[in-house]
Amino acid sequence: MEELKFVGKEIPRIDEKEKITGAAKYVDDIDFGPNLLYAEIVESPYPHALIKKIDTSEAEKVEGVVKVVTGKDFPYKFGLYMKDRYIFPQDRVRFVGEQVAAVVARDPKIAQKAAKLVKVEYEPLPAVFDPLEAVKEGAPIIHPELGQYSHVPWFFPKGGSNIAHHRKVRRGDVEKGFREADYVFEDTYKIPRYAHCCMETHISVAYYDLSGRLTLWNSSQSPHVQKSLIADALSPLGISEKDVRVITPYVGGGFGGKAGVTMEVIAAALAIACKGHPVKVRWRRDQEFYNTYMRQQVISKIKVGVKKDGTITAFQIENFWDAGPYVEYGANVVNASGLSATGPYRIPNIKIDSYCIYTNLPAAGPYRGFGYSEMLFSVESHMTRVAKAIGMDPVEFRKKNAIREGDPLAYGAPMNPNGLLEAIDKVAKEIEWGKKEEPKDPNKAIGKGFAIFWKAPAMPPNVSTTAFLKFSGDGSVNILVSGMEIGQGYHVAMAQIAAEILTIPVEKIRVELPDTDRNPYHWQTVASHVTWASGNAVKRAALEARDKIFDVIARAYYFNKDSLYLENGKVKCKTKPDFELDLKDFVINGIMKEDGYYVGQNIVASGQFFVEFASALQDPETSQGGHPNVHYTVGAAAVKIEVDKQTGKIKVLKAVEAIDCGKAINPLNVKDQMIGGLLQGLATALYEDMRFDKNGKILNPNFTDYKIPTALDIPEEVVPIIVEVAQPDGPYGARGMAEHPMIPAAPMIANAVEDAVGVRIKALPITAEKIALALAKGEKEPDYYWHIMK
Amino acid sequence: MIRKISIILNGEKRSVYVEPNDLLLDVLRDKLGDKTPKYGCGRGDCGTCTVLVNGKSVRSCLILAVEVDGQEVTTLEGISKNGLTELQKYFIKHSSFQCGFCAPGMIVALDEFLKKNPKPSEEEVKEAISGNLCRCTGYVPIIRAVMDYVKNRGG
Amino acid sequence: MSGVISHEFEYIKPKDIVELTELLSQYKTKARILSGGTDLIVRIKDGFEFPDLLIDIKGINELKELKFDKETLFIGACITFNELIDSNIVKDNYPLLWEAAKSVASTAIRNRATLVGNICSAVPSLDSGPALLIYEAEVILKSKDGERIVNINEFFTGPRKTVLKEDEFVYGVKVPHPKKKNGGAYVKLGRYNGEDLAQVGIGVLVLDGNEYRVAHCAVGPVSARARKIENLLNGKKLNDSLFEEAKKLIEEEISPITDIRATKEYRMHMAKVMFERALKTAVDRMNGKGPNYGERLI
Repeated sequence: MEELKFVGKEIPRIDEKEKITGAAKYVDDIDFGPNLLYAEIVESPYPHALIKKIDTSEAEKVEGVVKVVTGKDFPYKFGLYMKDRYIFPQDRVRFVGEQVAAVVARDPKIAQKAAKLVKVEYEPLPAVFDPLEAVKEGAPIIHPELGQYSHVPWFFPKGGSNIAHHRKVRRGDVEKGFREADYVFEDTYKIPRYAHCCMETHISVAYYDLSGRLTLWNSSQSPHVQKSLIADALSPLGISEKDVRVITPYVGGGFGGKAGVTMEVIAAALAIACKGHPVKVRWRRDQEFYNTYMRQQVISKIKVGVKKDGTITAFQIENFWDAGPYVEYGANVVNASGLSATGPYRIPNIKIDSYCIYTNLPAAGPYRGFGYSEMLFSVESHMTRVAKAIGMDPVEFRKKNAIREGDPLAYGAPMNPNGLLEAIDKVAKEIEWGKKEEPKDPNKAIGKGFAIFWKAPAMPPNVSTTAFLKFSGDGSVNILVSGMEIGQGYHVAMAQIAAEILTIPVEKIRVELPDTDRNPYHWQTVASHVTWASGNAVKRAALEARDKIFDVIARAYYFNKDSLYLENGKVKCKTKPDFELDLKDFVINGIMKEDGYYVGQNIVASGQFFVEFASALQDPETSQGGHPNVHYTVGAAAVKIEVDKQTGKIKVLKAVEAIDCGKAINPLNVKDQMIGGLLQGLATALYEDMRFDKNGKILNPNFTDYKIPTALDIPEEVVPIIVEVAQPDGPYGARGMAEHPMIPAAPMIANAVEDAVGVRIKALPITAEKIALALAKGEKEPDYYWHIMK
Repeated sequence: MIRKISIILNGEKRSVYVEPNDLLLDVLRDKLGDKTPKYGCGRGDCGTCTVLVNGKSVRSCLILAVEVDGQEVTTLEGISKNGLTELQKYFIKHSSFQCGFCAPGMIVALDEFLKKNPKPSEEEVKEAISGNLCRCTGYVPIIRAVMDYVKNRGG
Repeated sequence: MSGVISHEFEYIKPKDIVELTELLSQYKTKARILSGGTDLIVRIKDGFEFPDLLIDIKGINELKELKFDKETLFIGACITFNELIDSNIVKDNYPLLWEAAKSVASTAIRNRATLVGNICSAVPSLDSGPALLIYEAEVILKSKDGERIVNINEFFTGPRKTVLKEDEFVYGVKVPHPKKKNGGAYVKLGRYNGEDLAQVGIGVLVLDGNEYRVAHCAVGPVSARARKIENLLNGKKLNDSLFEEAKKLIEEEISPITDIRATKEYRMHMAKVMFERALKTAVDRMNGKGPNYGERLI
């Protein structure tokens, strides 16, 4: 196998210069001229209420106000996997902060002032915030028409209830499995909501020109999906996809929060209401917290049966997901994590119930890990406790039960090649698992925690992506794709793949940000599937370009195409060693023959990747059958912490993580994803603490009181480890890993805290406060859960 | 009441009409055309709006434009205007920034800090940038570049 | 909320005290003084303040003075927290105040936020509170009618409430030098290592001759001295049982509440832990040992 020259190398990011000089443009950095209008949203103060009357007359009178828009102006629904949401609510509001009306004005200050003059009359309805309450008899029904909503075929809503979807997995005989077990352990874990906290808030500028063409500039992970969802939502107005153009400049962070469509559809509607004017809707930081997607809350009831020797015989889990009042995206979080709720273990008897439940807390949905961070807190906390209860080392327990290539997954399909055991071994070695460390200070205690994890891309079974590749006269290349560079290093990875095939340096390759008019289709930049899918497309495009290059040379010089190869950006011939022609000499201009006539073609190519090997067709009662997940990425992680027994404060001394990414296209960026993602995960365990009042209003929609880590809060040492067990259908063997780094963080902290001070925290977050109080009161399993303040 | 103010923005005298309630961040971006300081939170908590006023790092989202009448304001655009600084070259080498949104504020903060403390310890660097939030990198690639720069700078 | 400010106000930057006091006597509560703005601007954005006039005092030179004459430190109204931190005079002579200043927010906030602004905000969690109370600082209030001095221990009357009259402003703060050999510690409870508002703040100063001064912030409606603890300890040499007795007295000194930042149980628990660490560290520092000022104790 030839040595790779670009793939697998730590090549600096090609977009770095733009970002560090300030040249990189985000949506709010684009100027739209003096015709730009600004919007201010009128928001519901109630978590659940009928909208009786909206009086916009006073607001409309304010000089500078162009339009005031309410639900009756746009009675249209939208949604990615289910259509359960209107652009503006029609008859009722379902969460505090929901958009009820919008004022569009020539100046943002005027819009803000006028918005206060919009008078809305509400009739409050009983609200529900607890998913366990929401499924009880007599709970207020948040979507009375649930039974009529259109949705993807693999969702199973229960009309007349608050259950928007129920994913059931049944494999083997779980009751028999529990009878066969020597020990059965059962407990409940609580995982609250979290916020993405991208540094750039959501923003959308929409422009419906006088000819009826709608252009949007969005901070987004999904330009093409936004185009199709918005076109679909506005189709009653005669708009189709051809009429919609989405342009996505650099994004200031996504983490799943900028997938799908949330506030962008509001901008689209306002633009239509104010034809001929671009309308800017920029979310404030507080709106970013409560009116985008939050990460879902889940109450997880888990029961595991094991034999004395550590073999898991049965696994049962009930995950009650609080998905908020609109689950058009969030229901798939429940679905995907439901299919994989066992964690990366080989288990013969499985019963999984994953319920997507409507509540009147803000809308929730995709967040890095797509349900796996949430539910693996429960699984990985529990597995360590199960191991300890039978006197087995938690790492040995995991190795014994780790899923292997070919093993059946919970839904029957076989597990892909993976380096889980290698990851476990490498992490255990690096953290010195088994070695008990004593702190110098008697007030402190040191503990270690371990977790394994996995995740498959959660996508529809027909995901696809295309890349265009074109040369310029100097031999440089533009690659047009619609994957998004959201900071993960996508651009340089694609450039590296193209560079490898075309043998030109990465510095000669540009990757262009999406404009749906010009860049070809890509589903969404989510699911950690983009290096894999788009990488394949780019590789194929490069191969097609190379083929066309050889075509031209063969025709011009009568060489046999098979004898041609590329080296350092030049075409060479195996049978004619002194022949070489630089790409720049002919990729546009062609080759002049002796008679003065030319042979040539502009070297322009495309590459496609369409998933034709996935199927969401499964038995609705058991989820057996089908192949809903293309492959799993696995990993292991461990943490060593020092706990101050008096203050409860945790210092992370060392964090180790190993992920099998098949082939690291750019190892530096893979390791840096692990570092950044791990800190994001650790933050959900240690710092981030979302609170609601008893009326469902978020109390800390700001960084003053929702704490995300600063440079002073990072672990003392982070060791990222790359494992490479090739993904057979990945470009150069690559498999995605960008969501995964945060998945093990919370459970391994919980396990480390128990190891250090004997306190088992089963309700996130694991704050110093909880540990100090538990230690002071002698509580081994405290139940502190202040997500909703009394 | 609208008034005219003059500020020395990145070395150039600029005059602009503002109202008393106009924030410096918005005036820089929307009236003076400098898009490098960003809106991240509006409360001074995130650091993406950081600029230098008279050489000191401040949160431009908490300053009224009228307050800096007659004063010097420096943004990332000013720091970058004569080509990449040495530190910026190290950021490229280390792929320090990912989504890039925190970069302008971070680099402005580091500009002030490294002028004051040319040979800091890693702990001092962390403290200096503790007011600039980054959600992507975990801070390690940024600190890595700064320490590499500090190690290799002369004097 | 935190986007643009739509509330309209006038802005004036007086060139001297006379102009300032004239404006205050005219506008009274309809005016707000603007120095750093790191508290005021947020409050205007959030709709908690709607002044007709902002008076920018950063143009008045005498308010920018930081001077020490061995007896007293004068901190003018416009002196920022970073200016206090950068001052060797403050660091060497008032290390407890220096340590408290270091704990405030982050550098870009400290380049604007002023000590006087901090005490005028009178938030229960103000970091400058315990140190100023312990050093027995005096607040200089001026108005058109003249000047009066109020001891900092009488300055705060409730959360966000002070004795300032509607036409008065704080000209500066005078901090007497303790004279005797001393050691102090300001310990601040935050939710992480980054910038945070104190959930509990404990300040301790131990002076030669068994003199103890203790103050707290964020655990009562105002930042205040812990007189009962001081009375217990004064004149005595510390021992274990005295420590335990003093810690128990914390329960009588403070009245923490539960809010989204912390429960009252944790605040009470931590106040005791922090008091113990602060007192031990203060004694060590007085005797030339202990960690450097500025190092975290929790």
